[in-house]
Amino acid sequence: MRILSLRDHFGRALMFGVVFLILCMASAAAQDTITIGVVLPTTGSESKPGLYQKEGIELAIKQINDAGGIMVKSKGKKLKVNEIFYDDSTDSKKSASLAERAMSADNAVAVIGGYSTVLGIAESVMADRYKTPWITTGAGATAIFGKGYQYAFGSLSPVALIGTTSAEFLGAMIDQGKLKKGLKIAMVVENTDHGTDYVTGFTDWSNKHPGYFQIAVNEKFELGATDFSSILQKVKNSHADVFLSDAHLPDYITMHRQYLQNGLHHQMISYGARGPEAAARQALGAGTDYIFAGIWWSNKLPYPQAKKFATDYKAFTGHDVDSWYAAPAYDGMRILAKAIETAGSLDKTAIRDALKKVELKDSVLPGQVLKFSANGQAEYPFVITQNKPDNKVDIVFPKDAATGDPVAPIPNK
Amino acid sequence: MTAIEYLDLLLKALLLAGVYAAMAVGMTVVYGVMKIVNLAHAGFLMLGAYFALEMFQRFHLDPIWGAILAIPAFFLFGMIVHWTLVRWLPKSDTPTLASLLLMFGFWLVLQNMGYLFWGNEDQSILTPLTLSAVHIGESISIPKVNLVVFAAAAVCMVVLQVIFNKTWFGRSMRAEIQNPYAAKIVGVDDERTSRLTFGLGTAFAGFAGALLGMLYSFSPDFGRPFLLRSFVIIVLGGLESVSGVALGAIVLAVLETFSTTIPFPWYHHGWNYYYLPPSYQPVIPFALLVVVLLLLPKGLASLFSRRWKVA
Repeated sequence: MRILSLRDHFGRALMFGVVFLILCMASAAAQDTITIGVVLPTTGSESKPGLYQKEGIELAIKQINDAGGIMVKSKGKKLKVNEIFYDDSTDSKKSASLAERAMSADNAVAVIGGYSTVLGIAESVMADRYKTPWITTGAGATAIFGKGYQYAFGSLSPVALIGTTSAEFLGAMIDQGKLKKGLKIAMVVENTDHGTDYVTGFTDWSNKHPGYFQIAVNEKFELGATDFSSILQKVKNSHADVFLSDAHLPDYITMHRQYLQNGLHHQMISYGARGPEAAARQALGAGTDYIFAGIWWSNKLPYPQAKKFATDYKAFTGHDVDSWYAAPAYDGMRILAKAIETAGSLDKTAIRDALKKVELKDSVLPGQVLKFSANGQAEYPFVITQNKPDNKVDIVFPKDAATGDPVAPIPNK
Repeated sequence: MTAIEYLDLLLKALLLAGVYAAMAVGMTVVYGVMKIVNLAHAGFLMLGAYFALEMFQRFHLDPIWGAILAIPAFFLFGMIVHWTLVRWLPKSDTPTLASLLLMFGFWLVLQNMGYLFWGNEDQSILTPLTLSAVHIGESISIPKVNLVVFAAAAVCMVVLQVIFNKTWFGRSMRAEIQNPYAAKIVGVDDERTSRLTFGLGTAFAGFAGALLGMLYSFSPDFGRPFLLRSFVIIVLGGLESVSGVALGAIVLAVLETFSTTIPFPWYHHGWNYYYLPPSYQPVIPFALLVVVLLLLPKGLASLFSRRWKVA
């Protein structure tokens, strides 16, 4: 065995000293910031909405840090936000394990993530397990918020509300005399929690307001279907007045293409939360005119804070905010910052308790106030948009946010 | 539903069968000659759709011309893929794990390259044909674009039949399919035949992808649902039979289309009629796959005379 010289001993002591110093510095740095985990898909099939949500969160973090950070009473000073980002590659297993990593190994005081419902469901189980507040900014199905989780929150209004708001909008058109009472409805929705919630929301409103609608067709289809001819034949045979669907973007494009090729026409058409997407308008041109959609946010909202958000977003990212994805993410981060400030500490349970009470009164979302209901999910109204010719889109409902008049019934070309 | 409406659905099912046959035939020839289950077929379909899109956007070329141009371009691409990757696989009479893994890995590479070049936005090709249809009376409407795609697919199948029956290359392929050892003895260059076959299979995949791009929106993940259907069709068709592919495509398309519209009688306190919900439609290909593998492992074509088999 080699006997260590004094020089060796000194070298080792020096090395341990340096490592100890680095660890101390890292620990001090960690205490001087607030670590927030962000788990979203920036690659894979959901990379586009995931990226938009990441940009929304990072814009909020930049604005918070530019203002000096979040005041944490127990520390007696403002602390800046330190974001730890993980790309889950649109893989639900990876999404769950990365949320777990952020909550345990990184000891994040809170985690934001979960676009879309499938990834959100995978991540949601981690929140209560690690007693770490988790805010999903991209999943709104009841499958997450009906389970009694105590640390799970969501800045998207429930999907069922799209159905309810769509029914309310059609009801308003009937009340205004634009459509006739007793409308026959053909509903064709995707076979997912999203589709089920949509139907539930619509039928709930319909049952509370008898006489407005009668459901003539209520069918489900599988995601990614290539042929809708038999289902559209059923819609045709039902002689319905209104065609309502709830579909993801590719299914919306495929189904509506076949709808148009079959020469179908209804007084009103909707594909749930889909309608104004540029990809659909590029794919089907004027065929998408007059489709109405229930969406979580629109850049047409007339609130000053929504307009400022759109301007700041463009300055931050270099591109327009042309879809709803970034807004709930932006406000998700802002309400978390407010909850940390209200909690006055970085204790995760205290932040959770604050999230249950806090209100974001300058929200960019419809209704202008963001708060979480008892089950942890935000509940604010949807806006109904309607595509107009020449690639224009108007908010047509509710009236106080409207930028144009609804066209009902839609013209038969 | 009236008889006319059933006729309308039957026409749509036949048009769909044309698309299915075009997408499955490339996979069949590669399997038949090389015994490779080409999982990268979905990647080639995706590239075919983007090829037509690029031709359409950059050179304002009609997607049908894009599909025709895809044939030589993808033939060359397939030969390059064969020369660089596939030829190193061990020769075997049955599909090997190595070939499955290689083609699966290559599919992932193609898919991720797609994300890198084109992003994940859904793309579509909108031409004057896209939304127009031929209407016969009030109940029958045939989308013009589906008619064009069907015609192009049918022409391609006929050309493939001619290649199989009338050319030296076709005879080499048939010899390789029937007995690769005997083929070698009589002087068939198996390396060259394999290379050309892989090129031909890839050319058909590119062509079919360009046609599918006219019918559906697509992203780099495009091709996945078609891959499963291609499997079902080639198993139905007998794995090595080109005419069987056409038959398999018709059976699958007709069953998918009619499964949700034909009532199944059910006796429970009197006769009731049950319709299969459209959300169960994806069960049809899986169920068919299981039934055919159990009852007709050589495919539907084995029910008919040997003359049906071109390969």
